[in-house]
Amino acid sequence: MIGLGKIRTGIAGLDRMLHGGLVSGRPYIVSGPPGAGKTILSMQFLKEGLEGGERCLFVALEEPPNELKINMRPFRWNLDDLDVLDANSDIRRFEPTPIMEISTETEPIKMRALAERIRKTPDFESKEVSVHSLQQLLKNLFIKRKYHRVVIDSVTALKYFCMREFEEILTTQSFMRFLTEAGVTSLLTLELPEIGDVPPEAFLARGEVRLHKLRDESGIRRFISIEKYKGSSHEEYVYPFEITSAGIGVQVPAAAPTPAA
Amino acid sequence: MADRVNTGVEGLDAMLNGGLIPARPYVVSGPTGSGKTILATHFLLEGLRAGEPCLLVTMDEPPSEVKANMGVFGWNLDRLKILDATPDVRAHKRQRSVIDVGTSLDVRDMEDVQGVRQSSQIRALEVSVHSVQKMIKQEFSQRLDRYKERYRRVVIDSLTALKMFSMQGEDSRILVQSFMRFLSELESTTVIVSEHLNPTQIETEFFLSRGEIRLHKWLDGNVMRRGLSIEKFRGSAFDDHIRPAQIGKTGLVVFPNMQAAFRSETALAGSGEAFLESRIIGEVANVLDSVLRQIDEAHRRQIPIKNIEVAVSRAMVHFQRRHYQKALKQALACDSELRQLLGESPPPPPPTAPPRPPEARR
Repeated sequence: MIGLGKIRTGIAGLDRMLHGGLVSGRPYIVSGPPGAGKTILSMQFLKEGLEGGERCLFVALEEPPNELKINMRPFRWNLDDLDVLDANSDIRRFEPTPIMEISTETEPIKMRALAERIRKTPDFESKEVSVHSLQQLLKNLFIKRKYHRVVIDSVTALKYFCMREFEEILTTQSFMRFLTEAGVTSLLTLELPEIGDVPPEAFLARGEVRLHKLRDESGIRRFISIEKYKGSSHEEYVYPFEITSAGIGVQVPAAAPTPAA
Repeated sequence: MADRVNTGVEGLDAMLNGGLIPARPYVVSGPTGSGKTILATHFLLEGLRAGEPCLLVTMDEPPSEVKANMGVFGWNLDRLKILDATPDVRAHKRQRSVIDVGTSLDVRDMEDVQGVRQSSQIRALEVSVHSVQKMIKQEFSQRLDRYKERYRRVVIDSLTALKMFSMQGEDSRILVQSFMRFLSELESTTVIVSEHLNPTQIETEFFLSRGEIRLHKWLDGNVMRRGLSIEKFRGSAFDDHIRPAQIGKTGLVVFPNMQAAFRSETALAGSGEAFLESRIIGEVANVLDSVLRQIDEAHRRQIPIKNIEVAVSRAMVHFQRRHYQKALKQALACDSELRQLLGESPPPPPPTAPPRPPEARR
């Protein structure tokens, strides 16, 4: 793997599975059913960046940032310098008023400065987040502050709430293209249904890390696999992982080839 | 650790590591008759006991039925505020005007609930997301004005109904998103009752909710068993087993220290829901098999069984539409009728006896 710079994901076992980490500057998908641990994995990815002094951005599309802050507290990670962009749409108005798009001047807020309570929809105007305005907003941000790592949580919310149904795939593809051109290493979380097909977004990224959730007698068992990784070799097997107070830990046996970093 | 909100269901709080995280919306899911409404009512009752103001928004059942059904458990829900968002009988005549529920109905105390509200002769009330939202908002601000307190617990029963009545079409995801956002901004702990209609689809309320409590129901031989599991719970550790549950005289009880009694090996493979479904599918297939064999036998002996054939075809239609419970019931009925007709015990392997009704039902 000469010539391709890899960056660490913040999860030692996962780096080993990826034979050294993720090729930087590309978009990747983290997929899994609800409750599999996608948000935690992406937070660890950002934490790793912050510890290395990189600039990191979390784009929240399905969870209000104040809750994210509270939810991540038990892990005791230092995320104070993380930029969080609140891209949750407001409550819709039903009166026939012109649609207000989220301003392309909106600024992310540092994790440490996030309010404890939820942001309220103003009484007279509601802002909507569409993929176009979000893309413009991110473009401005990327120019202003060179981000190294970006997490979009989640691309499913982006698809469901910010796009028109008939152009989903095309728009998602163009969004990923945009991320690639911006040169940031990005993780996009993707919801998977409990049964059935994988949504087509999975095919658009340069790689996909999939989280599996299985039930058996001993409760929920979690597994992680690399479904696809362009430009690099990787482990083909499915490995078990656990979520503990230290975050996600993947148990990759020492026998697995060590990364040729 | 932040304060937690007790659910009022024995055993469930232990599974949730102390209870729900306040001021967030949660989903309770499960097949019909699995006890979703009972769980939600426990949640409200627990709030009332602690003197918290609680609000029930009902879209499925008229308030009078809720009152009657919950009366069985002897619960005192008099101080519960109830918002009736059940739609009226549709007026199928043009000249009658349709009004949104929100503009005309009030919130009542459970105490004052009498019979079913009769649809007005002149106008029919329809329910839309907008109107429900407006009603809840009004009620919240009135409460705040009058008593200087906000509702601490809210139950939406059920979102599936609301979706079916008023969120058809291409905007439905956005409407659900907006509704969830609305509920989050209320800053009450909200329990939303919803059904997983299609496991191959990602439904908006499930991935937007901060947690999902799932109720299970399956046939074990001929006994109906119940279970409960937590599928997702943001910001907290939780017990990730399917634990056995029971609906008895005191309502829903979960046994957090016991293993759910899956006997089959397949339990190991499948996830909860899929496994339960495969069990019941197997059951229906067995019974249908034996019924068909008996029909052949009846033909050979030239016993007229026209009506049974009709009934069997109905069972098969249910089966095809994935209404397994109904299919099983129908098939079992045919089976017993055929046995009577044919007199002596039939040659095929004996199918299971009709299921005994579970000991305690609503």
